[in-house]
Amino acid sequence: MGSNKTSRGGGATASPCARLRDAYHDCFNRWYSEKFSKGQWDKEECVAEWDKYRACLAQHLEDKHLRRILLETEASPYFVKNDASSPADRDGTTHQ
Amino acid sequence: MVRAYTQEHVYHHQWDRVTTAAWRKFTDPDTPAVLSHIVDVHTLDRRLDPDSGSLQAVRSITVRSPPLPFLLRRILGQDAVVCHCVESTVVDARGRSMEIVVRNASLRGLLEVEERSTYRPHPDRPEGWTAFRQETSIRCKPFSALAAVAEKVEQRCAERFQQNSVKGREVVERICNYLEAETASAAAAISC
Repeated sequence: MGSNKTSRGGGATASPCARLRDAYHDCFNRWYSEKFSKGQWDKEECVAEWDKYRACLAQHLEDKHLRRILLETEASPYFVKNDASSPADRDGTTHQ
Repeated sequence: MVRAYTQEHVYHHQWDRVTTAAWRKFTDPDTPAVLSHIVDVHTLDRRLDPDSGSLQAVRSITVRSPPLPFLLRRILGQDAVVCHCVESTVVDARGRSMEIVVRNASLRGLLEVEERSTYRPHPDRPEGWTAFRQETSIRCKPFSALAAVAEKVEQRCAERFQQNSVKGREVVERICNYLEAETASAAAAISC
């Protein structure tokens, strides 16, 4: 598990964002394990990694449905536990 | 027709370690050998509420379906299909609960799968054990002409889901053991 295997997404992925994703996931896993899950939840971390990774996805993610989730930063329905199958634009603004 | 089933499991590890392992389940480098149906994983959104200690994240998990029944292979022109699932997770660090909902985003004309999982400290041993509970429902969209095929697909998917759930638990268990060993050796190195 400490080895430097390149395929981290669960298979041979030619995704252009794979390295940025791995950098973000590594940072997230470390922050979650050492801080958040142990009671230190007051500070957001891995912001730089996330911004770079997200910018790459915004450019390269092809699936329409996934793009919509990615780009709807304000009104994502997936944070509501009993979400409907189509997103509701709650605050009227979309960030495109 | 809906198939639903519930699975429960007790991890003999504390909650923070199990949930750490759960986050790493799909992206761990050794996972592809066990969960070969996972093609790709991406994080699409994440937000932290620093006041309440609540973390939310949305991830896409791309999977390859099991080999399709003959008729569907003919219709679709391929042996298997790639399906995107969307996983939505809420972690309450203060209350120590992790709730995950996974739904398929594609192939919804054929199949609706919803899998809800929770990780909480086990009531009998909250500091040492973690209770895992998972409820899965698989609903086949009715095709009047292909009802029999649809039911077969649903049954195969249910079986495959159950097998993958068991494998997924084994992956989480393995990562937990690795994390435990890592902690122990770090402690030993310090206490010379």
